[in-house]
Order: sequence, then structure tokens, then C-alpha cells
Amino acid sequence: MANLRVMCKLLKNLNISNVKAHSIPSDRRYKNWGAQEVKSGRSWKKEELRLKSNSDLHKYVLLKERNMLLTMEEEAKAQIQLFPSPERIDKVEDSMENLESVIRERNVAYHKLETGRTGERPYKMSKNAFGLRYRHEMSEYTMPKHMNKDWYEEFRSYKHDRYTEQFLLKYREKSYVSKRRQQIRDFNHVIHLLNRFPDMDMQALKEQYPNVDIEKAKASRKYGGHFAPK
Amino acid sequence: MRITNFLFDKVGKWSKQFSNLPDRYIKRAMEQVYWRNPKGIQYKPNAVVKRKKYHFSVHRPWTGEFRQENSPGRLHPKVFVEPIKEWSFFRGDRVEILVGKDKGKQGIIKQIFQERNWVIVEGLNCKLKQIGDDKEFSGVYIQEEKPLLVTTDVKLVDPSDLTATTIEWRFTEDGDKVRVSTRTGRIIPIPASVEETIDYKTKATYLEQPKDTKADAVTEITFEPKLATFEMDIMEKMGIKDDRVPPKSFWY
Amino acid sequence: MSTRLYPIYQKGGPQLRVFLPNFWLKLVRPPHEQPPNVVVFSCSMEMTTFDIRNYLEKIYNIKTVDIRTRIHMTKTRKDPGKGYVVKDDDIKYAYVTLPKGESFEFPDLFPKKDDKEEGDDQKALKAAKQGYQEFLDKNKDRPNMPGWFTV
Repeated sequence: MANLRVMCKLLKNLNISNVKAHSIPSDRRYKNWGAQEVKSGRSWKKEELRLKSNSDLHKYVLLKERNMLLTMEEEAKAQIQLFPSPERIDKVEDSMENLESVIRERNVAYHKLETGRTGERPYKMSKNAFGLRYRHEMSEYTMPKHMNKDWYEEFRSYKHDRYTEQFLLKYREKSYVSKRRQQIRDFNHVIHLLNRFPDMDMQALKEQYPNVDIEKAKASRKYGGHFAPK
Repeated sequence: MRITNFLFDKVGKWSKQFSNLPDRYIKRAMEQVYWRNPKGIQYKPNAVVKRKKYHFSVHRPWTGEFRQENSPGRLHPKVFVEPIKEWSFFRGDRVEILVGKDKGKQGIIKQIFQERNWVIVEGLNCKLKQIGDDKEFSGVYIQEEKPLLVTTDVKLVDPSDLTATTIEWRFTEDGDKVRVSTRTGRIIPIPASVEETIDYKTKATYLEQPKDTKADAVTEITFEPKLATFEMDIMEKMGIKDDRVPPKSFWY
Repeated sequence: MSTRLYPIYQKGGPQLRVFLPNFWLKLVRPPHEQPPNVVVFSCSMEMTTFDIRNYLEKIYNIKTVDIRTRIHMTKTRKDPGKGYVVKDDDIKYAYVTLPKGESFEFPDLFPKKDDKEEGDDQKALKAAKQGYQEFLDKNKDRPNMPGWFTV
């Protein structure tokens, strides 16, 4: 079929979780169309990818597989059908992330050896218009900072005025209150646990709720409940 | 992120071990995001409105039943789960049941629900369930195993005398962590079916799928160390030559 | 430099090359009817027509004649309970024209199965239903006895 030429290229069953491209017999191409479940292996690990040469990592096999899976998923959504084995997308994504981090490692090693720097995108911690700290990922410009008027307009340096002070006060209060409430909730939860499970492993409880003082919880009037003296 | 919430939301290691699904998928499948802050200058750049508390029962978090049980607006009574220091009940373990109509019987653990401290013992602690009933037909009754609490309802069986015992985790002289029966001091070995998943019984007997890379292709070392970045190496391999030096640029 | 960051281009500098694109491409059913040699993709928002051309040529070996893109704005909706406004992500569609003489038709990825495949549990339930009906029929005509009564 002539009209399937493009389709074959996009959707054929490539040897996908494989870094090396293999040629595929044509009778296997459309086997998974309409299947209920498609079994697949696990994703590539970093330590496995570290053994592979740069040109092996540069095969686009995972990219093609991801495009194929996304196409299938989209079509399944359009046809109101079940997309078989959706975890394949996550396996491919995991592999791709690992592959990228391995390549990054190699590039960082080169740059550190040659220049003493990582060669990664530089960043600095900065304060935004709300006075909150954020990670400013730096960008590349053709002109230096002091000449770049547009940049100054966009990233005007933070001015700590009356209004930011008021905002920050409320912002901090909000986060403090929510933390405090969580603490109280945990404290009460621990009392309930103590009441329900008197023979509980105290060490496990302490590990799970490190910020709750168990002695204090036991001293609470909620602890113990109603019991008649013998 | 509040640490306790994080702990509760996490699906237990042994609950998901048999399914052999990547964590990323489990997270994606169970997450219910209703609203996300749009990109741009926001005082809370990553604010998300999503379901925080999930009700865990005998449905696995990536299934439709779980989604239905945790559908938006559906609330469940609070569940108190006893903290356990170390999980010591695995698939294939022989346990004795301490409660219910099957009290005193021994069986094999079939499923684990670590979020609720539950196990399901094969063929024991069953209840009848009516299925397929309609106007003319009263339906059929099937036996369905109900979960048992590991803290109070079951006990591991000592293989030396086949009676129930409490256990302790200890180290052998070789440094292996083992379960030891506190009564007899015998080691209760961890069953081989621990590594069993839906895809394979043991790792050695895994049936290779058409898209899998062969094991020797995975372990083959093709990496040669070279004083070049990835991009430089690929350009050289592809025969691309570019001697132009990039003009000065500024980072800020 | 990080493999995923696009460097700026300055006059006289080396040609910009992307070795590990972060781009994805989905083949979709055309929303409107198209000539037989036009293929519709939905692609990542960062992709330009040049990116799409290079992507198809270098990775998939597909020659293209013309590429046009449009951004489809998705609908906003209000959450029925809380009332906040939610908007789905916009979609970028690419209309790729193949060379003369080539045609493409979107295939049926989810073919309908003719024979209804019944699971074991369905078969068992059917058999049980039939057995129950036979039991009722057998005991139906006994005088002075209710239908369900049997030895």
C-alpha cells in the first residue's frame, strides 16, 4: 500500500527500547494494532547507558518509539478506545531521561577537564518582584547586561518597599500557619494511633512522625480514653 | 511538601512490586490534578489543585476501580494505619490465621496491600459474593478472599515445626538480613516468589519481548573515552566540520 | 553546555545544530478534509516549520514539499464546583505536504473485532444461567408444589 509509506516510518514496531536500531521484518509491523495488551521490558538504566558510545546513544530510537506511542494514545482517545499498556510511555520517558543525564555527565566531565567549569547553564538565586527567592536560570545574550535596556525592563531588580513587606508578612504567616496546623494534625493523629494500638512499635511511630513529641502526646487529656478502674 | 502527607500518598513498595510498573506510571495514573497555575510571573509558580488524600483499599492505585473509589468529591472515613518498622510478610509466605472462621488454618500469602497493612491469604478468610444477578436469575455466588491485618490477624509460620511464631529481623554472620523465629531461633527464609511479577516468575525465566534488547547487547561495551563533548563526537562521526568560533556572548 | 539548550545565533558563528531534540510529533487524523498528499501532525509548541522539516528528513527520512503550522486554541471551562477557570494546553498542528504522487490515508489503528471474544468468567456465568433455567423448567409442572421446591 503506497499510502502507508509514511505511516510505516512513524508507526512500525521499531526495536524500540533498544539503543541500536535493527532492521525489522515487515510482517511484524502492524501486530500491535488492536491488541489488548502489549508486553514490554523495563527501561534503560543509567549504568547500562554509560557503557554505550556517543553514536550508539544518538540513534533516535527512543524518540521514534515515543512518537509512535503518543500517536497511538491520541488516536485511542479520539476513537474512545483503551490504549493498551500505557506504562510504555513512562518507560520510554525514563529511558530518555537517563540517556540525557548520561550525556550530560560526559559533557560536564569534558568541560571540567578543559575549563574547570561544568559548562551547564549557569544560574543564581535571586529575588522576584514579590520578594521571594527563586532560581534564576541565566540566558545567553549578545550584549553585556549594562547595555541591555530591554532586559532591565523585564527583570527590574527587586525593590523592597512597603508593599512587598506587607505581602511577605502575610505570605510567611500563611506558610507558618499551614505548617503549624499540619503539626497539630499530626499530633492528634498520633494520639489516636496510641489509643487504637496500645502495643504499637514506638520506634516505628517516631520514625513516621519525627516532629511529634510522643511523651507530650501521652500527657494529653485525649490520650487514654474512658476506662473504669479495676 | 509536608512529609507526612507524602508518606501517606506513597504506594507501598511491596504493593506495587508484583505489577512491575514504573513508579512514574503509578504516580501519573493515580494523580488527580484539577487545576495547575499557568506559566508566567506568579507568586506561587507551581501551585496545583489536586486530590491530596487517597483512600486505599483492595484496588490497586493505577486501576479504574481505584479512580472510581477516589472520584472527585467522594470522601471516605479516616483510616488509622498502625506504623510498622519493617515489612515482613511477602508473597508466598506461609501464615497462620488468628481470627475469623478460618482461625488456626495455614495458607500462602497471595497479595499485599502495604498501605493498609493488609495481606490476602489464598483460599482462606473468604466471603461469598453474588455476581451476575438479574430479574430472572439470582446470580452465582463466588468465594472472595478478604484482606487480613498483618499486625493482629496473621502470624508467620516457623518452617521447622510448622507452628505460628513471632519474628525478628536479625543479621547473620555474613551480614545478610534474615527473619528469625523468636521461639525457636530458626531462620524463616524469604520465599523465591518475592521476585515474581506479572511478567515473569523469576528473572532468569523472563520471556523476551520482540522490542527488548538482548542481554549481551546491553552489556556490550562500546564506549571509548575521548576528549570531546557529545556534540563534538557526533559531528566528527557524521563528517561535519565547522571551524567557526562562536562570537562572545554574555550570560546573565 | 547542556544538550537541550538552544544557543543564540550570532553572525559569523557556527551553524546551530540540535543533536538531541526534545521535540515530539504526533500523527493525527486531520480535523478537516485534506488532499491525499497532506499529512497532519500535532507537534510540540516550540517547533518551527524548519524544525519540522529537519525532524522528518533527518529522523524519519521523509521528504517534504511544504509545511504550514497553526496553533489551535483550546477551550476554557469553569470548574462546576469551585468555579475556577481551567484551560487545556493549546495544540500546534503542522500540515505537511508530501511530494507529488505520494498519498497518505490515516490507518485504522483500532480495528473492530468481528467475533465477540468472551472471557472464561462470562462463559461460566452463561452456563450457570442456563442450568438454573433448566432446573426451573424441570420443576415447573408439579402439582401442589411451589416451583423452587425439590428434593
